[in-house]
Amino acid sequence: MATDTSPDRIEIGQIDWEEYETGRFNFDRKTVGSTLSLLAVGLLWLYDFLFVAERHPVLEQDLILFELSLNPNNVDWLFGLTLVALFWYVVVPLYQNKRMTMYYWSKFKQNTAAIWSLGFLAIIFVMGTVGPLIIGHPEPNWGNPNAPPVFFGGEWAHPFGTHRTGEDILEVTITGAQVSLQVGLIATLFSIILASVVGATAAFSGGWIDEVLMRFVDLLMTFPTFFLIVLLVYIYGGSLFLLIVILAFTGWGGTARLVRSEALQRSEESYIQAAEAAGAGKAYIIRRHILPNVSNTIITAATLIIPVMILTEAVLAFLGFGDPNIWSWGRIISDGRNHLATAWWVATIPGIFLFFTVLSFNFLGDALRDALDPRHET
Amino acid sequence: MSMAWYIGRRCLWALLASFIILSVTFGFLAASPNPTASTVAFDAAQEGGDPEEAVETYEQTRGEDRPLMEQYTDFMIDMYTLNWGDSFNYNADVMTVIADSWVYSAAIVIPSTIVAVLIGFGVGLYSANNQYTKTDYAATFGAFFGISVPNFWLAIMLILIFGVVLEWFPTSYDTTVDYWSLEHAYQLVLPFFVLTTAAVASQMRYARAETLEYVNAEWTKTARAKGVSEWRIMFRHIFRPATPVLATILVADFVGIIFASAYVIEVIFGIPGLGLVSYNAIINMDTPLVLATTLVPVIIAILGNLLQDILYTVLDPRITYEGRN
Repeated sequence: MATDTSPDRIEIGQIDWEEYETGRFNFDRKTVGSTLSLLAVGLLWLYDFLFVAERHPVLEQDLILFELSLNPNNVDWLFGLTLVALFWYVVVPLYQNKRMTMYYWSKFKQNTAAIWSLGFLAIIFVMGTVGPLIIGHPEPNWGNPNAPPVFFGGEWAHPFGTHRTGEDILEVTITGAQVSLQVGLIATLFSIILASVVGATAAFSGGWIDEVLMRFVDLLMTFPTFFLIVLLVYIYGGSLFLLIVILAFTGWGGTARLVRSEALQRSEESYIQAAEAAGAGKAYIIRRHILPNVSNTIITAATLIIPVMILTEAVLAFLGFGDPNIWSWGRIISDGRNHLATAWWVATIPGIFLFFTVLSFNFLGDALRDALDPRHET
Repeated sequence: MSMAWYIGRRCLWALLASFIILSVTFGFLAASPNPTASTVAFDAAQEGGDPEEAVETYEQTRGEDRPLMEQYTDFMIDMYTLNWGDSFNYNADVMTVIADSWVYSAAIVIPSTIVAVLIGFGVGLYSANNQYTKTDYAATFGAFFGISVPNFWLAIMLILIFGVVLEWFPTSYDTTVDYWSLEHAYQLVLPFFVLTTAAVASQMRYARAETLEYVNAEWTKTARAKGVSEWRIMFRHIFRPATPVLATILVADFVGIIFASAYVIEVIFGIPGLGLVSYNAIINMDTPLVLATTLVPVIIAILGNLLQDILYTVLDPRITYEGRN
């Protein structure tokens, strides 16, 4: 599909066959790099868990502009792990396959809304990953409560105004961006992994394994997830870590179904037969042939799951079922709700960010589907 | 396979699904400290009593000191015989509480569902028939807005604009108003609007995607070639084959969207429906009521799925009574 329309076609002689003949255990740079860096995150977590006392920073460094103080909790560690995985399995492949990347990019950029969304999400991403390192935790300031935003009688010191206990709304918004990113990316990553494994296994194994797995997915999809989450949060409490785990384990049903049907189509193809004839095992075929070939579907589905995760977290935080120590966008909107007449900006401004983040992910997912999946006609 | 066998099998599946879900719920409850028990312990400690003793007494009255298997059997029997226990807060059977509150939920959920289906299907169908026109783009953009806007934030913004600034609508719900009165309908305008935006958007998107498949179908071209009127084509040749799938979406996705949205909206506007009752039950650690209010939508979803499967056999004569394919 893609190679037919691409202007610079590859001649067969140009292909470096050595690259493809590495066998079962291939130690290319990417495999080594990703394994080592994921391992490093794991070891750092162990170090933090075993040797650094709770509430004490792992790293404290006075940079000239601000003081860097890293005191990650479990969610932050998972977030680090997710970012590393994102780097090795999204950024690096995009860089390695420059030709495909340019091809998809040329299709993608026809969609103006998606380009704007990508730009906005890039800002949110930097805001949510780097921002909290610089500003730290929003501190109450009793001397300056309910200051209006700039252009509405406020000052540039607090461009978005302040909360009734004096927290700067910009700082709260930045912290909220971090929370939303953490929930969106971590929960999506894990639910996507789960969905891919279950979907591909069901498609390729068939028989009773397929039946049991898909029946389970049916059950999960029947369940109105929101109420399951409410019930679980009620029983086990609503820490951010737990919420992410719950979201990851409840949100994968639809994607698993999608992966299964895609994988079913793929497993009919002759290269699978060839691999089977050459003596490849089931696990190897799933990992080496089926998953890479359904990765377009997986990526598109992931982009469309992220906003759902973010919205669900925001709703739960809004209802007050979230972690009371974390400034989620949902929580600040809930705080501002009772003071609409005196301080409208508290609920309004973080809500605008939440709305545009979700909207951008939806636009992005839609554009990605158009670019990556030519068979999908809508 | 015959149709009766198919429907029978679906009924069995619904029973099995409810059985699994209730069992899992029991598992969750048994594996964690009962939130109510910790409240009891806290109260006892505050009054100078022994918290552990208080919890034990509490567990004894609830029968939680018995073997797990016995508790499980009792739990399941109680669930299936609709003996769901008493609410501490209302001092009444949870079923009575739910029976008293559902009318308020219905007051926004039912009109919103009807309007969402009419508008959603209508616009979706129109959009599919006029693909890539300005109206289509506007409708698609509207759908994106409806899907992306956080319901609770939209509700608050509407309260801010129409309640606080313009003072057109009341900012909170007044329960003393007569249920069947114009005034009641008037104060439901904002909640109804918020609930409908979410529902319309998802209906529209599905309706557009589904009907698009039939817009360029051979039979549509044939019908157009022999001079069938556009209206007849739209309803008989495009909408009709899309109905089974649309009905599926209506039931399956809708229960999730509408109930979950209504939950938050009721909490924001203070409408004493199922959502607000459930919310208060959670705040007050009223376990039987929390369980009932979260399981009722689940049971409705299972029944809805069953209904949808049966509906499918009626709407789609092509269906084979085999398994999934």
